[in-house]
Amino acid sequence: MANQESDKFVTITVDGITARVPPGTLVIEAARQIGVMIPHFCYHPKLAPDANCRMCLVEIEKIPKLQTSCSTPVAEGMVVKSSVPNVEEARKSVLEFILANHPLDCPVCDQGGRCDLQDFSHEYTPTTGRFKELKRIFPKEYFSPLIETQMNRCIQCLRCVRYCDQVMDVQALAPSGRGTMTEIKHFSIHELDCEFCGGCVQICPVGAITSRLSMYDFRPWMLKRADTICTYCGDGCQITIQTKDNELIEVNSTHGAGRNNGDLCPRGYFGYHASVHADRLNHPLIRQQDGTYAEVTWEDALELIAERFSQIKLAHGADAFGGLITSRCTNEELYLFQKFMRVVLGTNRIDSSARYGHINGIQALRRVQGTHRWTVTYEDIVAADTLLLVGTNITETNPITGLKVKEAVKKQGAALITIESLLPIRGTISNITTLASHHVPVHPDYFGLAVLGLIKSVLEQGLATASLSERAPTFVQSIRSAVGKVPWETVERHLGLGRDTFVEAARTFSQAKRVIILAGQGVLRAPQGSDVVTNLLDLLILTGHHGRPGCGLGTLAEENNDQGAVEMGAVAEYLPGPSELGDQTARKNLSKIWGDEIPQSPGATLMDMLEEARTGRLKAMFIVGENPVATLPPQAKVEESLDGLEFLVCQELFLTETAKRAHVVLPACSYAEKDGTFTNTEGCVQSVRRAMEPIGESRPDWEVFSALSLLMGNPIEYGEAKEIFKEIRSAISGYGLLGPSATPPRIKDEVVDRYLQEGFKTDVEVRYAFEQENTQPDEMLTLASVQSLFHSGKFSTRAKGLLQIQASGFLNVNPVDATRLGLADGDPVRLSNTRGEATTKVKLLDRVPVGVAFFPEHFDQNIRGLFSLETDPQTRVPYFKLTRVRVDRMQEEIPGKG
Amino acid sequence: MLLEKHQELITELLSRYPVKRSALLPLLNLAQREEGYVSEAAMKEIAKILDLTPPQVYETATFYTMLNLKPIGKFHIQICKSIMCGLVGSDDLIQWLQNRLGIRVGQTTGDRLFTLSAVECLGSCGTAPMMQINDDYYEQLTAEKVGRVLEDLRREGTSPLKSGPFMFPQPAGSR
Repeated sequence: MANQESDKFVTITVDGITARVPPGTLVIEAARQIGVMIPHFCYHPKLAPDANCRMCLVEIEKIPKLQTSCSTPVAEGMVVKSSVPNVEEARKSVLEFILANHPLDCPVCDQGGRCDLQDFSHEYTPTTGRFKELKRIFPKEYFSPLIETQMNRCIQCLRCVRYCDQVMDVQALAPSGRGTMTEIKHFSIHELDCEFCGGCVQICPVGAITSRLSMYDFRPWMLKRADTICTYCGDGCQITIQTKDNELIEVNSTHGAGRNNGDLCPRGYFGYHASVHADRLNHPLIRQQDGTYAEVTWEDALELIAERFSQIKLAHGADAFGGLITSRCTNEELYLFQKFMRVVLGTNRIDSSARYGHINGIQALRRVQGTHRWTVTYEDIVAADTLLLVGTNITETNPITGLKVKEAVKKQGAALITIESLLPIRGTISNITTLASHHVPVHPDYFGLAVLGLIKSVLEQGLATASLSERAPTFVQSIRSAVGKVPWETVERHLGLGRDTFVEAARTFSQAKRVIILAGQGVLRAPQGSDVVTNLLDLLILTGHHGRPGCGLGTLAEENNDQGAVEMGAVAEYLPGPSELGDQTARKNLSKIWGDEIPQSPGATLMDMLEEARTGRLKAMFIVGENPVATLPPQAKVEESLDGLEFLVCQELFLTETAKRAHVVLPACSYAEKDGTFTNTEGCVQSVRRAMEPIGESRPDWEVFSALSLLMGNPIEYGEAKEIFKEIRSAISGYGLLGPSATPPRIKDEVVDRYLQEGFKTDVEVRYAFEQENTQPDEMLTLASVQSLFHSGKFSTRAKGLLQIQASGFLNVNPVDATRLGLADGDPVRLSNTRGEATTKVKLLDRVPVGVAFFPEHFDQNIRGLFSLETDPQTRVPYFKLTRVRVDRMQEEIPGKG
Repeated sequence: MLLEKHQELITELLSRYPVKRSALLPLLNLAQREEGYVSEAAMKEIAKILDLTPPQVYETATFYTMLNLKPIGKFHIQICKSIMCGLVGSDDLIQWLQNRLGIRVGQTTGDRLFTLSAVECLGSCGTAPMMQINDDYYEQLTAEKVGRVLEDLRREGTSPLKSGPFMFPQPAGSR
């Protein structure tokens, strides 16, 4: 035992203090662990040591010269001295050299007050330098709309360049020139074109790279900080919102904190202005006879709602109500909303934006393994030896989960199999397929077919685990016969890839020890989404990975609290838990906690509610933060549905297309102004904290539900969000701990057994069937509405920072298609199909597959009409992200578009 | 473009290295031979060939002073300014050249014939002062000799005064 212990640790002494650290630890880290801070600039724990700044020199006994502690690993018995005269002398010289060129412009530098160079200069330098030469001056150059460089301040530690390469895999920054004249640039004189993750701003130890969004607006010590969670995707990144006099100044993230470990994406770092946009609703509004809105007091608005709700309930019954809530709300609000709908209004007709796709993944997970969450965490992704990504487009949709994948591949050497539509072409926005060891390029229609191909290859090569044939012989047999019905010729005809493509990938996947599958929007938001996820789980079971530690499947959530919305029961089919609506134990338990009965009637999904509103069965809707008018394509006839309602209440940040049809509009708070919790895509529950006072008269959503319940004579009251959370903890398992990491649930073996013996039979034939799709005529392109890295939903299109990177939609097409269709970059084009036509501009992008065009969904106002709409027969998810269009070059310029 | 014109050579260059990126300098050299300087278009193309981003190519191209990032004249005069040549009067020669050509170091003449650069040691100290014009060495220079070289180049496009390039080890049979 003792031997093992000493194998795992080495003992070193730093400044007389003894430390026991694992072998391989760097001296600088070992010193930090025992509280000795060795000054440094170029070293950062996320980056490989570069030892270029020389600031961290220390004396190590028995080594004649001073050593850089950032690049020296510990050795047994090492004696390190960091505060002896010759070390201090060395630091003085290093700083003297740095200060020979660094300007003394601290008073106008945004870094002043949190600058490493400032701090170390105060601590270690003499007050005078011996250099008489002029300082090096770089001519000022425009760098980018959001990131400012002031190269005279640069100390050439190259942290930004290394971060951009090693962590982000972007490689957009170049140290140009050499020696003293080294300057951080993008490409020659061109302005920066990159992911704009803000990582270079955050990691710069001095003020050489700063954010233009908050330039000269603050001194660090004036700022009030609040650690909260970003709402722009399901990754659940911790951000620190910094305010001055209730004004948003800056967002950043701390290394070592949150699930993102200090890394952010452009949405997180530059997108914070969306919630303080000038169009925010400040007062409750009631629609007048003439269609205009009058500002009223909260009392008037709420009393009107309570009165109308009570009248409608009396006249038409509880099921005349429908509720829709956005999954951008906190768990507390989602929970309280469904409680309000169930207890006060008495209906189960509730849905949330998890319906747009996240529910597909959850249904599959529940069915096969009895969990509604990932059984793995981000840490498992990093530790995996093989990763399979299916239809994720991960850089754009879930950038920080993407970083975990990059870390696994780049630092840990994991194998990466990508079934993605992107082509593996590198650019200054990272492309996960360039890191893949096996890339299967797939048309966005055929992710399911590619998964089928992989399973087929596994079975053909005899890679299925042997024990499974004993445990569930019919399961293996059924899948074998089902995939046998789809010949390789069919696969090849549609994917353009045959059996050979899958051989190596199938082998790598099967022989791995720690495997993680991530399924993204391409799967979840496309027809048969739930089936494809189930098939991927079958793949895990077939290869024997299912249930093994560190192995599992994760579905990537688009919105920050999609996961929470389902767990809080804010969807049609589930009570909080989530438990099935008909689950008697859950009903009993809940009604005990609520002190009220749970309605018996069935739930209704978004599409069902809209349908019923059209037929007149639904009389009133309560829509919180959701904007179906601007989300669903016109043939969903959302406007018609909403206009047919007797009473529509919208609770919103802005007067959206949907809110404009409401009888009463209530101003809600943004995430920056309220407390609560979010549950991220991996199932980690994290605290949301109020960073600023509510804007205008807006109030947190939960307060409104509570106030309404009071007025409707069935009070559900809470003093603060924490009290609701307390109730959630008693009602839902998995909400007990708010730890720094996720606590994933265990797979329920009895559910897996049931699935393997009987459950799979119901639809195995259907799931593995492949119906001949209509082939695409040559002159048509497949138009895919996709997420952009710079936006999230429609909310971010109000963020002034993000608008500076991307302010409008454009059609991304492959240069090959462009040549074929006679298009050049920037050309105006007309898109048309049987549903209508629209105009936009072309932007060439060589990673877009041939025959496909991408359009950012955030700017789809004009093109939405081209998409088909189909609703999943099982999960009732509306699919409207893919269509086929003709693309024609237009002769004249589009007026007003640029 | 490079790839179209030198398909075979590029394939051969890439085959020399286990890591694609290693072919960066040979390709930059190729681009410079092609146009006299490394153009942005060439850097972008090299990035594509090597699976790099343009900034990564730019970074390397700016590090090496022997790679020109701007168009240069037909004759690139690289005069040595290191210590050995300095001791025997390279400063005067540089001054003389600047006056004669009417340009400063780093500039190109209006007729796009000559570009003047002052460079570090070219390894010909025994015959200092010296300069290199395109691929040829000119040694034991005097103002008069440099003047003749310029005249020759202007007239003939080459000069009998050249003495290089030297290769080590020397080709068999030379000297």
